[in-house]
Amino acid sequence: MSATAALAIESVGVCAPGLPTWSSAATVLADRAPFVPAAMAAPVNAALPPTERRRANGTTRWALAAAGEAIQDLAPQAIAGLATVFASGDGDGEVLSTVLRDLAAEKVALSPTTFHNSVYNAPAGYWSIASRALAASTTICADAATFAAGLLEAAAQVAASAAPVLLVAYDLPFPNNAPIATRVRTPFACALRLAPAGRASPPLGRIQDMHIAGGPCPALRSDLEVTFTYNAAARALALLAAIARGEQAGVALPYHDGHHLAFAWTPGA
Amino acid sequence: MIPLYLAASSLVNGCGAGWREIGDALLQGRSGLRRNDFEPAQELDTWIGRVEGVEDVSLPDRYAGFDCRANRLILMALEQDGFAQAVHALRARVGAERIGVFLGTSTSGILDTELQARAAQRSGRAPHWPDDFYAQRHSMFAGVRFVREYLALRGPAFTVSTACSSSAKVFGAAARAIATGLCDAAVVGGADSLALSTLHGFRALELLSREPCRPCAVDRSGISIGEAAGFALLVREPRGAVSVRGCGESADAWHMSSPHPDGAGAAAAMRASLEGAALTPDDIDYVNLHGTATPANDSAEDRAVTATLPHRPACSSTKGWTGHALGAAGITEALITAFALEQQWRPGTLNCDAVDPTLAMRVETRSQPARLRHAMSNSFGFGGNNCCLLMSVGHE
Repeated sequence: MSATAALAIESVGVCAPGLPTWSSAATVLADRAPFVPAAMAAPVNAALPPTERRRANGTTRWALAAAGEAIQDLAPQAIAGLATVFASGDGDGEVLSTVLRDLAAEKVALSPTTFHNSVYNAPAGYWSIASRALAASTTICADAATFAAGLLEAAAQVAASAAPVLLVAYDLPFPNNAPIATRVRTPFACALRLAPAGRASPPLGRIQDMHIAGGPCPALRSDLEVTFTYNAAARALALLAAIARGEQAGVALPYHDGHHLAFAWTPGA
Repeated sequence: MIPLYLAASSLVNGCGAGWREIGDALLQGRSGLRRNDFEPAQELDTWIGRVEGVEDVSLPDRYAGFDCRANRLILMALEQDGFAQAVHALRARVGAERIGVFLGTSTSGILDTELQARAAQRSGRAPHWPDDFYAQRHSMFAGVRFVREYLALRGPAFTVSTACSSSAKVFGAAARAIATGLCDAAVVGGADSLALSTLHGFRALELLSREPCRPCAVDRSGISIGEAAGFALLVREPRGAVSVRGCGESADAWHMSSPHPDGAGAAAAMRASLEGAALTPDDIDYVNLHGTATPANDSAEDRAVTATLPHRPACSSTKGWTGHALGAAGITEALITAFALEQQWRPGTLNCDAVDPTLAMRVETRSQPARLRHAMSNSFGFGGNNCCLLMSVGHE
């Protein structure tokens, strides 16, 4: 597969146990601080209006926390015009559990809020309301390849629009008593603001030579791999670690058919 | 965007399986809606667009793990109208890695998850999930996984799940993947089966009609849910008469399950599709409305259409034929729009006898031959997610 044009990363947001913000995550990922994944309560999204804040589901809370960090330097008008790609391998297990239990009851009683929260794009919908974002917004799933697929779609949108795109990736464990289970153990959400290379504001760095290559990916650093195993969104940590170290690096992300998405990361403008 | 031609297409919905049955139903004004006879939700007083014969479909042995209602709909559609053969022929020419798969769905195989979880809860036992149930049936990606395996494709792939705009937005995803060189062609489309969560969910929202849906009618009373699958093979070279020229996408930033009352987001998507196609409003000859038949949706869409297309082109909703196929509505109506362009025929609005006089757009109730060059197909979803496809007939 061929390459897309060079792509800048302008900002990063993270929200996960042991990696509660990008600035703290960067020190951990650059080996300057230990990774201590202490349990963490679901974040509160101050940007949501009170009604939506009350109704928001778990994936929304984590996704919006990471997204909010990645746009804190932007004016409201820029946020309103920022296209978004939301990516999740599993969606919201808590809402799914509620739906399945309510439908299994002798007298079915599904609440309207549960139903509208059950759409896969619920976090994107809440984000649009919270940030008054009117631009294009998509929500995708590609199982274990979800983060790479989201990055490719966001990169393709940047190429098509010559404008920035916010990529938000998130996956959470399903509740212990969920009728159907995943093997995700630890919540993870991150956000990357992507833009055409060569814009005025100095980016964190550039992605170049994106292509699909044969063979599987190397695992993450062992402590991260153990904590975030099976978390499709957390495959982003391979890229986040390269950004945190601030050095030129090759990055590989799991893709389909045992292949991976490969690219070069170069820090700075 | 780059024009993409529909080199092949196929579909199933309440009107039948394949173009012969569905084309006849469209031209003859025969609705695919029936009083609810979907056994797992038979207590609901409503009308549905159920696909006949899904229960009798059997997947080939090697795909047995994929067996669920949604994947049966997918298989039915892939095997209509020579669609799979057209993909095989293209694959032989360009290679499996060069054909992407981008499908939309809102619920994937959730019906089977719902039924097994219900059986377990009611019997007091823990549910038993077969190996790979999650990946092959439950996951939002299950349909793409099935299509890639069934058609032996290895190009870029993902599922779009943005509720009722899902399988319209895949045209944009495919156009971008092709424009950036990730692939040369793409299978797009999607599927949604009838499901307990959607039937009961729309009832909870009081949006489910007790009669066959009557889009844009003065006495419209909500949606009829349908199930459907549909596919298009998109290529850059002019093969086939119809091309997709624009895919406008936007968000409402308004409410999780109600459209913006002024249709502002919908209008933005329509304008974006015109920009993508480098056309002007006057070029549009026909709009296939989202037209769900809820009072609020049709009014909001009227504002959007009126603001975007002041020359008042013919508009109609075809949900009286198919019902609202939710995540599969985008592909269903894109293909009906392509059919209209090919046949030089404009569908009316089945079941709409008296148009709501407060609607300013030109709602056509009767089908008739029409000269059509460019047409739009609107799809709007929960979370305020909007998509408008712009399609054209002829080569230039």
